[in-house]
Amino acid sequence: MLFFSYFKDLVGREVTVELKNDLAIRGTLHSVDQYLNIKLENTRVVDQDKYPHMLSVRNCFIRGSVVRYVQLPPEGVDIELLHDATRREARGG
Amino acid sequence: MASEEESAVKEPLDLIRLSLDERIYVKLRSDRELRGKLHAYDQHLNMILGDVEEIITTVEIDDETYEEIVRTTRRTVPFLFVRGDGVILVSPPLRTA
Amino acid sequence: MSWAGPEDIYLSTSLASYLDKKLLVLLRDGRKLLGILRSFDQFANAVLEGACERVIVGDLYCDIPLGLYVIRGENVVLIGELDLEKEELPPHMTRVSPAEIKGAQKAEREASDLKGTMRKRMEFLDLD
Repeated sequence: MLFFSYFKDLVGREVTVELKNDLAIRGTLHSVDQYLNIKLENTRVVDQDKYPHMLSVRNCFIRGSVVRYVQLPPEGVDIELLHDATRREARGG
Repeated sequence: MASEEESAVKEPLDLIRLSLDERIYVKLRSDRELRGKLHAYDQHLNMILGDVEEIITTVEIDDETYEEIVRTTRRTVPFLFVRGDGVILVSPPLRTA
Repeated sequence: MSWAGPEDIYLSTSLASYLDKKLLVLLRDGRKLLGILRSFDQFANAVLEGACERVIVGDLYCDIPLGLYVIRGENVVLIGELDLEKEELPPHMTRVSPAEIKGAQKAEREASDLKGTMRKRMEFLDLD
């Protein structure tokens, strides 16, 4: 639940989602669910020339299982909070 | 001094718990490696790393000589969420006794 | 499981906000399907009406009609809503016939196969 909660708090911020097929999409985090499926708004593909079919996509749903990374905005990372939440989760919280 | 409960290593993920706030090495699928400071993780090995360096190793075949060219590309990312299903191994920092 | 109310739908990852819209569905094998979303479930299984596959080879493309498709969620990478105000593809791309795109696909495949075969031959020579 740690990362589900974390991403819920990140809604409204700009992130870059990098997929396992190497496609990287930047956009505003609209929503997330327990599987870490993600919806992005105002999206743009980082390497537009390589993915011309994505040109007119402005909003999208990304299946959590195909995500490799999410680049996080530094202002959306509270290190102390993450440490505490991780220790709580490790204790079986 | 951490309490006994905090420092005991009984299962694999305990080693990762002890690496919180330390720089770790992560090997991922598709020839990717990360080094970064561990800020969060869960039982799936989803993680948040800080000050991350990623190294990607690619093998290309030269158009003329058909020789294999091994290339490594590096980049740095301030904060990265890493999905656990791509993780092959995690190496905690070396501790000197 | 309860149904999310209409307000929740727009704040959640539910595909409900994409119903009856023209979508691009990227699949795990790299295929790109276009169609109108008529139904979905919690696994991202999806029903596309008037589906077609958009095949792109270099600057050429072709939309091959498929009909009514039920897509298994596991194979979905991304579902994108198409902005109807915008061009779907960059202006330098040319639409060609299904026969032409299949020819271009074949040529592309053969070129990459050739690279692989040549490499294998080189390895063989190295051993000699």
